[in-house]
Amino acid sequence: MGKGVLVDLTKCIGCRGCQIACKEWNERSVKKTAMLGTYTNPPALNSECYTHIRFYEHEQDGPPVWSFVKYQCLHCEHPACAASCPVKALAKTRNGPVTYDYDRCIGCRYCMVACPFHVPKYEWESTRPWVQKCTFCSERIKDDMVPACIKTCPTGTMVYGERKEMLAEGQRRIADAPGKYVNHIYGEKEAGGTSWMYISAVPLEKTGFNMHIASMPLPDLTWAYIAKIPAVAGIVIAGGALSWVITRRNNQGKGE
Amino acid sequence: MTNHWIDLRNSDVILIMGSNAAENHPISFKWVTEAQEKGATLISVDPRFTRTSSKADIYAALRSGSDIAFIGGMINYILKNDLYHKDYVRLYTNGSFLVNEDFKMPGELGGIFSGYDSDKRKYDKSAWAFQKDEEEVVLKDPSMTDPHCVLQLLNKHYSRYDLETVSSITGTPREMLEKVYKTYGSTGNPDKVATIMYAMGWTQHTVGTQNIRAMAIVQLLLGNIGRAGGGVNALRGESNVQGSTDHCLLFHILPGYLKTPKASQPTLQAYNDKYTPKTSEPRSANWWANYPKYSVSLLKAHYGANATPANDFGYSWLPKLDDGQNASWLMIFDEMLNEGKFKGLFAWGQNPTCSGSNAGKVRKALAKLEWMVNVNLFGNETGSFWKGPGINSADIKTEVFFLPCAASVEKEGSITNSGRWAQWRYKAVEPAGQAMPDSEIVNALYNRVKKLYDKNGGTVPDPVVKLAWDYRSKDADGKVTEMDIHLVAKEINGYFLEDREVKGKLFKKGTLVPSFAFLQTDGSTSSGNWLYCNSYTEKGNMMARRSQKDPTGTGLYPEWSWCWPVNRRIIYNRASVDEYGRPWDPKRPVIKWNGSKWVGDVPDGGWPPLMNLDGTPNPASKRAFIMKPAGVAHIFGPGRADGPFPEHYEPLECPIQENPLSPSHRINPTAKLFYTKEKEGEEDVFYSCDLRYPYVATTYRVTEHWQTGVLTRHLPWQLEMMPELFLEMSKELGAEKGIVNGDKVKVSSARGEVVAKAVVTSRFRPFKVMGSTVHQVGLPWCFGWQYPEDGSGGDSANLLTPTIGDANTMIPETKAFMVNVEKI
Repeated sequence: MGKGVLVDLTKCIGCRGCQIACKEWNERSVKKTAMLGTYTNPPALNSECYTHIRFYEHEQDGPPVWSFVKYQCLHCEHPACAASCPVKALAKTRNGPVTYDYDRCIGCRYCMVACPFHVPKYEWESTRPWVQKCTFCSERIKDDMVPACIKTCPTGTMVYGERKEMLAEGQRRIADAPGKYVNHIYGEKEAGGTSWMYISAVPLEKTGFNMHIASMPLPDLTWAYIAKIPAVAGIVIAGGALSWVITRRNNQGKGE
Repeated sequence: MTNHWIDLRNSDVILIMGSNAAENHPISFKWVTEAQEKGATLISVDPRFTRTSSKADIYAALRSGSDIAFIGGMINYILKNDLYHKDYVRLYTNGSFLVNEDFKMPGELGGIFSGYDSDKRKYDKSAWAFQKDEEEVVLKDPSMTDPHCVLQLLNKHYSRYDLETVSSITGTPREMLEKVYKTYGSTGNPDKVATIMYAMGWTQHTVGTQNIRAMAIVQLLLGNIGRAGGGVNALRGESNVQGSTDHCLLFHILPGYLKTPKASQPTLQAYNDKYTPKTSEPRSANWWANYPKYSVSLLKAHYGANATPANDFGYSWLPKLDDGQNASWLMIFDEMLNEGKFKGLFAWGQNPTCSGSNAGKVRKALAKLEWMVNVNLFGNETGSFWKGPGINSADIKTEVFFLPCAASVEKEGSITNSGRWAQWRYKAVEPAGQAMPDSEIVNALYNRVKKLYDKNGGTVPDPVVKLAWDYRSKDADGKVTEMDIHLVAKEINGYFLEDREVKGKLFKKGTLVPSFAFLQTDGSTSSGNWLYCNSYTEKGNMMARRSQKDPTGTGLYPEWSWCWPVNRRIIYNRASVDEYGRPWDPKRPVIKWNGSKWVGDVPDGGWPPLMNLDGTPNPASKRAFIMKPAGVAHIFGPGRADGPFPEHYEPLECPIQENPLSPSHRINPTAKLFYTKEKEGEEDVFYSCDLRYPYVATTYRVTEHWQTGVLTRHLPWQLEMMPELFLEMSKELGAEKGIVNGDKVKVSSARGEVVAKAVVTSRFRPFKVMGSTVHQVGLPWCFGWQYPEDGSGGDSANLLTPTIGDANTMIPETKAFMVNVEKI
C-alpha cells in the first residue's frame, strides 16, 4: 500500500516554510513576481514551483476568514496523466508518488491536458523543455525519509504515513470534533482517490478545491470507452470481411 | 520570557497581542497548536487580521496605540467581576501595601500622577512612596480594603476604563472587549492558567514599558506568573536578542543587568551603594543585595590581575555616563546629525538606514561622519548610504569600510533564545571568502588598538591596556591558533582566582565557579556575567547539553542546553504554589515542597514555604519575588518614569484631538520630545490629528523576510513570495480612494514617503473611535532601495516613522503614526 498525506488545513499558519523547503530540496529556481493584492506568490504552480500556499480571504459576519491551502500534485491513485502518457514517462509507484521519467518524455503534454487538477507544468522557456511537477520526494521516500515540505512544517499540518492510515486519521479527526471540520476528506474519492488528502474547517469550494471531479478513477472513463474497442473493431472487421466476400462474390458473378 | 517556548503548550488561554507570532515566530505555533488541540483558547488582538488571527478562536481589532486602554479595561473587568486570585495577590504582590495618603492619580489630576514637573517633563517619584513604620517597614492591609492600599488604588484608577470608554478609544466593539475579558479573566481560577505572547507591537510605543506593565498586572491579579502555561512572554525579534541584552547590548546596563556607572559615582563603593537595594522587610531575600559580588567579579573578569582592592578593582577604568545622559539609539543619531558629536560609527550587524525609526534622519546623520565601518554578511543600505536615493555622492565625505563577517552557522558559540536558553552551536561550514567570526574581528581590533596605545601612549590608555585579554589557545607546539570561543564562555561563567573555601567546599584556583551563589566581593572570583555563572562549569559546557529527558512531563527538559538563572526554566516559580508549598494547580506543577525540599524545576531560592503544615509561619521562609526589595511583585510600580500604574496616552501622532481619558495630556507626559518650540528640526516634525495625514499607520514584518531584509532580499526564493513593499488597507478605504489591489500608491508622513503596492483587504476594517470613522493602514519594513538590484522592492517603511521613544527605554514609536495614502 502506498504512502499518503493528510493535510489538516485548520493547522496551517501560511508560513510557507514548505514552499521554500520544496524549492531547496528540488533545486528549483524562481520566476519574477509582483505583489498583486494577495500573498499567494507565485500566483500559480509553474515549472519552477512544485508547491505553493494559496491564500483565500473571504468575508462573513464578524472577523474575516483567511485560509491557507498547500497545493501540489495530489498523486492520484489512478493517475490520468500516466494513463494519457503514450510513452509511460509518468507512472504511479507502489510507494505512492506519481513519478516522471525525463528520459522517456517526448514532450507531447497529454499529461497536462489529462490532469484534472492542472498540476503538470511545462518549461516553455527552455530549449529542451521537460514537464515539471511535485515528485512527492520519491527519492526521499525510497530512503525512508519524510518529504521535504512535511519535514519543515512547524505546526504538523501534514501527517504522513500509509494512505489507508491517513484516511482513517482524517475520519477520526472529523468524528472526534463535531462541527469543527466540513464532513469531507478531499482526495478520499476524488478522481478515484489521491495520495494527498485534505480536511478543512472552511467549505472546500471556498478555498479553490474543484468539487466537480468525478469520484471514480479517471482512466476508467477512458477505459470504459477503450474497452468497447474490440467489439467495434470486431464489427468493423467482420463487416469489412463480409463486404469483401460479398463484393468478391458479386465480382465473380459478373465474371461468369 | 518568564517561561519558555515549549511551555506555551501548558496554557488554557493564550493571548497574542502586540505580536504576530504565526508570521514572525512560526515555530512557536508548534506549541500554540498543541495547546489548542488540548482545548486552549487562542485570542488574537491586533489592528489587522493576521495569519495569527486566522488561527485564533477569538479575534479583536484595536486601533494601534490604544493597548493600555484595552488592557486597563481588562484590569477593571477582572476587579469589578471579582475574578482575581485573592490569595496570590495577597501573598505575592504589593496589593496590600499602603501608599502615602496624599498620592493622587490621573483621574484626580487631569491625566498625571502626583509629583509631576511639567518643565522637566519628569516625576518626583518620592510622591509615590509607601507608608512606612519607624523601622522602615511598609504598612500593609492584608484584607486589601484600605482605600490607600495598592489594590484599592488600582481599582479606583481603572474604574475609569469602563467598556464604553475603552471601546470609544480602541475602536474595539464592546461585546468583543467583553468576550476577551471574560475568557482571559476566567483564568483567575487557580486550576486555569493563561499566558501572553507579545513582541514589538507592544514595546515600540511611547508607552511601551507601560503596555507590558499593564499585562504584568493582569497576570499578577490572575495569579498566572511563575506557573506552567503562564507568565509574561516577550518574543524576541531575533534568535539571540535575549543573549545580546543579557550581555549588555544597551547603553544603560553592564552584563547581567548591572547598571552602567555614572560620573557622579567616582568610587566602587559609591557605585555599589547606589545600586545595592536595602530592605526592611523581614521575609525578603532581596537578592540584589549581592550586587557587589557581581560587580567586583565582573571587574575581575574585565581586568584580571590588574584589578586589585587597592585600585577599586579597576572601577575607574569603566566608562561612565554623564548624569542625566541618555545614550539611546534615537539620541545617537540625533547628536550625530545636530551636534556633530560623532566622528565614526561601527554599524555592526545592523542596517539603521532601514531599521531605524525616521530612517531619513539616520541617512542624513551618517553623512556627518568621517568614517563608518559596516560589519555585515552582505553589503546593505547603511554601507551604501552615500549612493542612496536623493543623495549626491560627491557631497559625502564619509569613508566607509566593509568587513564581511561569518554567519551563525560559520562559527561556534552560544545563542540565547527568548526562553533564556543558552544553546551551544557548533560550526557547520567555514566562513565564505574573507569573512571572519565577529569575535575574531573584535579580537583583531582590540590587539591593534592596544598596540597603538603601547607604542604611542594616549590620554587614557588604561581602560584598554589593562584589560585581561587572552582568548587564543595554543597548539601542542605552543603556536597560537584561532580565537578559542570556549575561553570566552568560561570567562563569562567565571573562575576562582585563588584557593577558596565557600559554603564548606574547597575550590582550587583556576577552577570554574559552580554558580553565582559562590561569587565573592573580595576579588577572589571572576564572572563576566553573573547571570551566566553555572553555564560552563567543571562538569562541562552546560549549554552544549542535548538530553531529551523530561522528568516532570511539563516540557522543562532540564538537561537540554542551559537556562539562566541557574537552569531555572520558569522564573518566579515559587509563586506557583500556595503558602504551604502546594501547587495552585496540581495538574501542572512547576515545583512542590515535599516536606524537606522543593522538587520539580530549580526553585527561585531554596527557602521553605511561608507556612508550616501546622499553620504556623515558617521564619526561615522568604517571599517568592526574590529580585524585588520587598519580596513581592509590583502591581504598584514606583520605579517607572511615567507613573506607578499604566495610564493611556495617545501616540505622538494620533487621529484624535485629545486623549479621551485626560484631555490636558494627550501624549505620555514624560516622553522626551525631539521637536519642540526651541528646536524645530525638520527631521523630527510630526502632525497629529492633521487632515493632511488622516490615516493611522503601523509597521510589521512578514514571515518571508528577516528584519530589514539584508539576509533575505538576496534570496530569490524569498523575494518570489514577497517581492515588493505593499500597503494593506481596508476595502472601505480602498473604495473611498478609488484604490484596488495591485495599484501603486504613495504613502507619506510628515517625514518622508514611500511607494508601495496596494493590498485592499477585509483584514483591515475601519474603526469607530470617539464617534468618528478612523482608517488604519499597515506596511512591512523589510525592504530597502539597494536590493533587489533593479529597485523593484521599494524602500524602507521607516522613512515614515517618527523620532520619539518610550519614556523609560527610548525604544522608538514605530508602531503607531499618521500617514496619507494617494494613488499614483
